[in-house]
Amino acid sequence: MTEPRHPHPAPGESTDVPHDVFAVPDAPPGRRARARDALIVVWLAVVLLVLFQGAGVRGGAEELSPGIGRDVVEAVGEPTGWIADNLPFSGRTDDALAWLESDGGPATPTASDGATTLLVTGDSLAMPLDTELARRYAGSDVAVEREPHVGTGISKSDLVDWTELSAKQVRKRDPEAVVVFIGANEGFPMPAPGGGGQASCCGDDWQAAFAARVGRMVETYLQGGDPHVYWLTVPAPRDPARQEIADAVNAAVRAAAERVGEGVTVIDLDEVFTPDGNYTAAIDIDGRERIVREQDGIHLNAAGAAVAADVVQDAIDNDR
Amino acid sequence: MVFPSIEFAIFFPLVLAASWALMPWPRFWKPFILVASYGFYAAASPRYCLLLAAITLANQLGAVLVYRGSDERRRKWIVGLTVAFDLAVLGVFKYYGFFADEIGGFLDGIGLGLSPPLLTLALPIGLSFIAFQAISYTVDVKRGLLKPGSTLDVAIYLSFFPHVVAGPIVRAREFLPQLRTPRDPRKVAVGAGVVLIVIGLIKKVALADFLAREIVDPVFGVPQAYAAPDVALAAYAYAAQIYCDFSGYTDIAIGVALLCGFVFPQNFASPYRAASFRDFWQRWHITLSRFLRDFLYIPLGGNRGGRWTTARNLMITMVLGGLWHGAAWGFVLWGTIHGLALVIEHQLRGTRLSAPTWVRWLIVFNVVVFAWVLFRAENLTLASDFLGQLFVSGPATLWTPAVVGAVLVVIGFQLLPPDPLDRLRVRVANLPAPALGIALAIIVALVGATVPSQGVPPFIYFQF
Repeated sequence: MTEPRHPHPAPGESTDVPHDVFAVPDAPPGRRARARDALIVVWLAVVLLVLFQGAGVRGGAEELSPGIGRDVVEAVGEPTGWIADNLPFSGRTDDALAWLESDGGPATPTASDGATTLLVTGDSLAMPLDTELARRYAGSDVAVEREPHVGTGISKSDLVDWTELSAKQVRKRDPEAVVVFIGANEGFPMPAPGGGGQASCCGDDWQAAFAARVGRMVETYLQGGDPHVYWLTVPAPRDPARQEIADAVNAAVRAAAERVGEGVTVIDLDEVFTPDGNYTAAIDIDGRERIVREQDGIHLNAAGAAVAADVVQDAIDNDR
Repeated sequence: MVFPSIEFAIFFPLVLAASWALMPWPRFWKPFILVASYGFYAAASPRYCLLLAAITLANQLGAVLVYRGSDERRRKWIVGLTVAFDLAVLGVFKYYGFFADEIGGFLDGIGLGLSPPLLTLALPIGLSFIAFQAISYTVDVKRGLLKPGSTLDVAIYLSFFPHVVAGPIVRAREFLPQLRTPRDPRKVAVGAGVVLIVIGLIKKVALADFLAREIVDPVFGVPQAYAAPDVALAAYAYAAQIYCDFSGYTDIAIGVALLCGFVFPQNFASPYRAASFRDFWQRWHITLSRFLRDFLYIPLGGNRGGRWTTARNLMITMVLGGLWHGAAWGFVLWGTIHGLALVIEHQLRGTRLSAPTWVRWLIVFNVVVFAWVLFRAENLTLASDFLGQLFVSGPATLWTPAVVGAVLVVIGFQLLPPDPLDRLRVRVANLPAPALGIALAIIVALVGATVPSQGVPPFIYFQF
């Protein structure tokens, strides 16, 4: 953690000679080796990691968005995964390192006794809405528990299976109300309902399969007690290819909610942020145009999250 | 592509092997490393490779014209236009939204109801670092400190994958000479590079991300939900987090470059050891502070115009240095606090006022931590809420041994005498290559096991 002292003067230091130290910097102290040694170090580390944790490359590919990067990692992950699968080391390494694993969820302030638990969950879309809601309910009898799972999707169950995750969330948190905002990483093929192979996005079969998974999640959240689910639709993203996916996701969510009926409220954020179905970065807030989307053209920024939180809070407070 | 990722673990061994294989033949090595670096950049920001190329060509054109020109006035104009181009690119992508929003709010406030068109432009990753390096190249050529390199060399300089996304801000005078002759394959600082990569991984993944997850993000996100003990610890934890995050990135970048045979300047030197603000800026983000010194503070007149002129120049430098980090009032206030601290320190120099070193350290460290609160908070209202909660009594809900221990380790290590640690570092660096390879694999496995399912969060300085 400690580095040797550097000779450069800082702003404010007395110097009238600005360019006194710019030559090729000295390398840190230590033995000079051959380039071959650099390759030995790096490739030996790679070989050891493949032998002991090669399956991690295959799993890592599943966490990436579609594209060249994912294709490359998948191509490498197949043989490394095969090697790891056929050696006895991988499982033992995973067991040995299990104590270091983290669930990744943000710490939650201790709720007072008798507080109502509001779970805000989803993918990266749920952030910063979850924080905004937590701020609004801070000090009230509502304890907001935040559980975003960045990079996950309902249509891609390799990283996180949301139907299983929702059951875990219910067991762990027993929420009285659940806010779900998810849909930034969808569009992956899913098994078509009733068999018949994979359904590609975004036809009727895909929407039906997606709606079935949403329905199972909602029913899980509704188990026990008297909970309520608030499912937020996805505002149109800037990328036209993603718009088609968002439309399919929203249609599936509405269909699932209609089927479940009691206990679930669909909050039409798409109509709040993109009323005519087309992407817009700014909307009118209190008579003034404000940017409500992040620069990626997908997520809500802080101002957008505040607007979304207004709508969600109204819905929750109306039901209380 | 971030360093602690599977993509980089695939990319780097292949590029390293090919790089050393081609190194003896620069006409093959240079196009190769350029393509590899653009590939690395494209993985993070594919659409903006063209922008990177445009900045390269514009600055190369400016540098060549300035070098060949004999009319001083014309040379000034060329440099001015080239720098204006760099700053315009930076301004449009980084600051347009902020100023359009602020101007719109102001015009609305005075009843004009007009506002500039609002746009959300994605900030190309690393743009601030690329723009500053480009400026330094053209201006140093104008100052006669450097001859223009070939277009290929300059393109490699601006895009070289170890530093393209978050620095350190390597000056052309430091890098271009390393391209003149192939790197010597018998004199590679392999051990030092591996040690830096290992230290960087531990700082980023095991310490910075852990502190962010366990205390910093929850408390800065909803400060109202926490009382003084948690809020105070979160402030110190953020000081530890941002140091580990940024210096961890820099360590990995410097280590990766060393394995490729290139030497980058140092960027951190135990900053929380500083007992004065001037000392702090010699230790924190050193490559930025020397850029600001040479391209802003000294051109403004530095300390040559008397006390008040020096104070003015310091304030301008530090406020703009704050704004460099992003378009938000929190960054401006952060820079203002550091500027004021430097001015006060400068004014007190030579007076009889003095204090023991430990008192000065205590003051400097706590002011630095206070300024980080403004830097980290999403907006000034939340910063105010955060600071207000320091006066609210309540339980310490987030004081776990792991969190407190991590904060103490990060800050405490910087206060230890550097020599024994440096000696230990050199001893490890001198281990034989197979031992270093095994150590690297073990650390990667251990650190990787702590990564939550959603992967490693981006480095904080990627956004700048």
